[in-house]
Amino acid sequence: MSEKLALLHPEMVLFAATCVVMVLGLARSAVWRSACAWLTGGALAAAFVLALRSPVTDGLFPHFLAYTKAMIAGVALLILPVMSGTVDRWYERRVAKGAAFDALRVTRGEFYAFFLLSVTGVMLCATADDLIWLFLALELTSLPTYIMVAISTPRVRAQEAGVKYFFLGALAAATFLYGFAMLFGATGSTSLDAITIQFRGEGLSTIATLGLVMALVGVSFKIAAAPMHFYTADVYQGAASPVSAFLAFMPKAAGLIVLIQLLATVGWSWGEAGDALPDAIRVALWVIATLTMTIGNTLALLQSSAKRLLAYSSIAHSGYMLVGLIAGPGGTVARNGLAAAMFYLLCYGVMNLGAFAVLASLEVRGRDGEPAEADAIDDLRGLFRVRPGLAWAMTLCALSLLGLPPLLGFWGKLVLFTSAIGAGEIGLVVVMGLNSAVAAFYYLRLVRASMLDERDPDAERPIVTEALGRRLAAGLSAAGVVGVVVFASTLQSASHAAATPNPRYDEFLKVEAPARQSPPAATPTARHN
Amino acid sequence: MSDPTTMLLAASAGAPDSSVAWLLQVPLLPLLACLLCGLFRAWGVTSKLPGYTTVLLLAVAFVVTLSGYLSFGGHGAQVVHGFDWLRVSWGDGPGETLSAGFSLYIDSLTWLWMLFVTGLATLIALYSTEYMAEDQKTGGYARYFSFFSLFVFMMSCLVMSDNLLLLYLGWEGVGLCSYLLIGYHYTKPSAVAAAKKAFIVNRVGDLGLALGLMLTFVHFGTLEYREIFARLAEIQAVVEAGGSAPWQVELIPLLLMVGAFGKSAQLPLYVWLPDAMEGPTPVSALIHAATMVTAGVYLVARFLPMFALSPAALGTVAWVGAGTALLAATIGMAQYDIKRVMAYSTVSQLGYMFLGLGVLTATGAAYHVFTHAFFKATLFLACGAVMHGFAGQLDLRRLSGLAKVPGWRVTAVAMLVGCLCLAGFVGTSGFFSKDMILAEAFVTPGPGYRLLGWIGLATAGLTAYYAFRVYFRVFHGPVEFHAGEEHHGDDGHDDHGHGFHPHAPGWAINLVLIALVIGSLAAAAPYFIDKEHHGWVGGLVHSSTAGEIVRASAGHGEAAAHAGEAAAAEHGGFFGDPHRWMFLASSVVGAIGILLAWVIHMTGRVSADRAPIADALKARLRPWSTLAEKKWLVDELYDALIRRPLRLLAHILALIDQALVDGLVDGVGFAPRLFGKSLRPSQNGLLQNYAVGMGGGLVFILLVVWALS
Amino acid sequence: MTALLAQASAFGSVTLYHYLFVSAALFALGVIGFLSRRNLIIMFLCTELMFQGAGLALIAFGRHWMNPTGQVFVIFVLTIAAAEAALALGLVVYLYRRKSTLDAQAWAELAG
Repeated sequence: MSEKLALLHPEMVLFAATCVVMVLGLARSAVWRSACAWLTGGALAAAFVLALRSPVTDGLFPHFLAYTKAMIAGVALLILPVMSGTVDRWYERRVAKGAAFDALRVTRGEFYAFFLLSVTGVMLCATADDLIWLFLALELTSLPTYIMVAISTPRVRAQEAGVKYFFLGALAAATFLYGFAMLFGATGSTSLDAITIQFRGEGLSTIATLGLVMALVGVSFKIAAAPMHFYTADVYQGAASPVSAFLAFMPKAAGLIVLIQLLATVGWSWGEAGDALPDAIRVALWVIATLTMTIGNTLALLQSSAKRLLAYSSIAHSGYMLVGLIAGPGGTVARNGLAAAMFYLLCYGVMNLGAFAVLASLEVRGRDGEPAEADAIDDLRGLFRVRPGLAWAMTLCALSLLGLPPLLGFWGKLVLFTSAIGAGEIGLVVVMGLNSAVAAFYYLRLVRASMLDERDPDAERPIVTEALGRRLAAGLSAAGVVGVVVFASTLQSASHAAATPNPRYDEFLKVEAPARQSPPAATPTARHN
Repeated sequence: MSDPTTMLLAASAGAPDSSVAWLLQVPLLPLLACLLCGLFRAWGVTSKLPGYTTVLLLAVAFVVTLSGYLSFGGHGAQVVHGFDWLRVSWGDGPGETLSAGFSLYIDSLTWLWMLFVTGLATLIALYSTEYMAEDQKTGGYARYFSFFSLFVFMMSCLVMSDNLLLLYLGWEGVGLCSYLLIGYHYTKPSAVAAAKKAFIVNRVGDLGLALGLMLTFVHFGTLEYREIFARLAEIQAVVEAGGSAPWQVELIPLLLMVGAFGKSAQLPLYVWLPDAMEGPTPVSALIHAATMVTAGVYLVARFLPMFALSPAALGTVAWVGAGTALLAATIGMAQYDIKRVMAYSTVSQLGYMFLGLGVLTATGAAYHVFTHAFFKATLFLACGAVMHGFAGQLDLRRLSGLAKVPGWRVTAVAMLVGCLCLAGFVGTSGFFSKDMILAEAFVTPGPGYRLLGWIGLATAGLTAYYAFRVYFRVFHGPVEFHAGEEHHGDDGHDDHGHGFHPHAPGWAINLVLIALVIGSLAAAAPYFIDKEHHGWVGGLVHSSTAGEIVRASAGHGEAAAHAGEAAAAEHGGFFGDPHRWMFLASSVVGAIGILLAWVIHMTGRVSADRAPIADALKARLRPWSTLAEKKWLVDELYDALIRRPLRLLAHILALIDQALVDGLVDGVGFAPRLFGKSLRPSQNGLLQNYAVGMGGGLVFILLVVWALS
Repeated sequence: MTALLAQASAFGSVTLYHYLFVSAALFALGVIGFLSRRNLIIMFLCTELMFQGAGLALIAFGRHWMNPTGQVFVIFVLTIAAAEAALALGLVVYLYRRKSTLDAQAWAELAG
């Protein structure tokens, strides 16, 4: 029992911290209130260490937890400094000037608590071995983010983003829930291992295919893949940049992990060569990936808002990661598409955060005279003259997103390419290559605006926020884009180990199988084929 | 390594898996110093903290190197695995994975290089703490030491790497640091131009190295030394059995050689080194005399087994080396800027080292690298002391009799010892190392190698002459000095020397000079240790990868030398032994050079810029003397033959780019934009529309799946 | 198919297919409602309808397999639905205060 519990140690720490932070945010003393962020950071650091010590499981991917959870906690630690001052900044300033403190009015504690809850949800997605668990973990990931979006700024835009995110999210949740119900119906179990046994033994029935496709498409909402991508740009633009940075990584990580878990139930042992997904699923993913990459990149070309641009680029990157999922676990580092996708997720988390952190560090004077978040690409113009450090951070992160060697994004994309080539998915490789080329057009616009363009003399200069954490995060991400490259190979080996199937999984299933409840009549749906 | 937890922990702690892991400190300590100094720069530290931090960390690196040598020096090659740096694979077969670790390959050749690199770097960093003191206020001080430490890190990567890719990183890294430090005074146009020149000329060589590296990977399927040397041993066996080496193995050394010629300033790529003297003098001493420029020698020595299989490459190395030695010496004779003389002498001495490698005496070359590092550093730092004290004055016509000025005794002695070593005066370290190379040149069979020996011997005479020309002009004769153009501090006078008070070197500079004088003299001692292998350095070379091939290749190099010794013993004749013969010949030649310098520059000297015989000789030897002074117009030649045509080509290509390529790119960008525009209505901001899109998309995908199953 | 029909006895005259049909109908009604109505509260109720459609399928399948996991799943689904309802109502109140309307089309400033 207790060794089972060890699987959940990081989540337990995060949840305990959540409870404390939620109360701490209501404290009368400003010092206690400001301890929220530090406590959150401490909990994440502890979770990171505990994640590294995650036990090896008997499941399909025995080493999955350590890499995945450490990545989640690590990127969350990087996102945390950007979050500082997102909510309550003006309110705290008024309190500091002597206004009465109103515990009903503050949202800081909740904000950090929701942050932690969502991260916990993502980690639970990785630990989950059951459909119920997966469903709960996914909802735990998303529900807090709806609120985070809506309260991130007092502007109407944030509420609009919150509405769209919440309602479309609920629609997607209903979709994958229905898919889960069908999967249960087709196999008679909610345990992923039991479902795997069923699929291996009996193949995919119609109901199972229907359920799987609905579940996959529903979960695609979390990674902002077509056709569930519509919300992305509006939500990322409407939410405050720190929250957008969070949305671009955490739900995406959860979605990717769940997709891997779901696809693992059917496995990559079908097709002619015996190393691909079942044809129907493969084609569905193929369509999704191609659409996602193309829609994301072509729409990003047209944007004048940097946040929308990054949102569409985030859609495109999800498409790249899906290519890895189609390629499957392969045998070597170069061939392992799952590892490539997991590694790319890490790279994407770092470089995308950097770009958002630069935006979060800048303010412009809005039409109403109040400082507003920088949003338009034009707001970046002349940044090099004002803040060369931020301009460099934006440049490095944009070039890395573009996949320029020797930056981090290049190494991430490289393994995706090699794994897809290894899996014989030449068509996808061509699509991905063309898309990467198209992407150059808009990423270079970010670089040009921040490094080369001069600011119009009559335009307002961007103001740098006093939130030091955001600049820190921008700097750290930029340093990571350059510095993590040194450890790229080590991290790739780690992600490969995480996504290497257990050679003794079949034996494990044989032990598990008798424990499973058998249906009253054997395999009713399989006969349908 | 299957457990990801331990792997991640290992990566985060940087802890490799073997007991020799602590040797990783050698490259990492300078890196730490670099980062710390960068931070000091950012924090605006204006004290000498960056300097002392660097000195301390480099000193620790030296101690680690030394204790590493003492513990493992005799153990053969060690491989220390740091972490996986790069691993790119596109298939599962052999040669389909490009992997390069941050791993160290440590054999005796590495020890030799690292000992003098870290040792000299520590001393020169100490010297710099005083030399660079004027820049403390501007923040240049921390910047300088940051680049300085970065250089030591990169140099350690270059020398200690266990694969060609990490070597290439170090190679480019030292080039970068060299560029940054030459251009240290970035407000000075000549410094910027010199930095650019160094960088660009080095690119030409680096292209060769890069091509060699790629061909190595294509042919051998790996970049790791161990595997390459194992394969080379097989090829060696084939060749000995009468077969022939594959063409790649004959071509790779030629390509590597081009890289070596760039970095080590050999014909035709030597032109950047004299200009590199625009950097601060300690930089010239460390990077452009003692360490970085010997990287080419290291590369050839490391891959000597491969060079031995390529007679064409060996011959080229020998001939280019000898040619460079002679050409640079002739230019050095006619220069008036004492730092420039030293620069040309460096080029010339590097030529000797390549000559040594070309005639397969890796021992001679490595020993000359070792002694040269000490005495050339001494010479440069002495020049630097003069430059520092006389406000940037380096013209030997405007300085005279400094040995008699109070406070300059140490500098004068250092200069004298340096010049004696450079001239190869009997009993000094330069004497032994140079003779080792020259003797081998005379006895090694090869295309005209005997002629190479004569060229080398003649160059030795010229070297003695120009070294002592500087010494006699600057440190002897009537006392006279004029301040240079760099006025600073409290001496705001005109530069006529009246009332100008040179500030004599302080403790740090003198301490380092004394240490280096001792080092230069003591560098002769290793010759007498380990007689069997021609000295301590010979012993090191013999137990390295280079030594194996030297021992194995019969009929070459030292084997022939041993044959010569045997013959000498047989005939009992003194002249049978090339080394003894060489000792005598080069003593005489060196003494003649020094004597000539004395006669020409000391007889009848009345003032700093008037030496009657020298002036008369110069007039008599026109136009040759003028041509030599103008460096044989090589820079002008390159300008006309290479730079101008390239500029023209660049202009033409720019036109093509604007007219054709830009249009093409715009056209390519058009289609995706059009596609994006057609998609744009789907993003109209309406919640219901999005929901319709999602639902429709789901149905579409379900239909696709249904159609397929 | 025949095997499934053979199960009919377990449900009396109501077969698994009846349940599945009702569940699919609920789900489809929810989708249609979501797409056609513009009031945010109604739209939210439609998503609840979709959840309950899935829940019904879960219960039916649980009964079919004689596996109580399905029913347990539904309890969790209800919990989540309750949480979402709380969230939705909070959000709706918040929105109404800003714009005094609950028309979904009023929130379309962000586009492109």
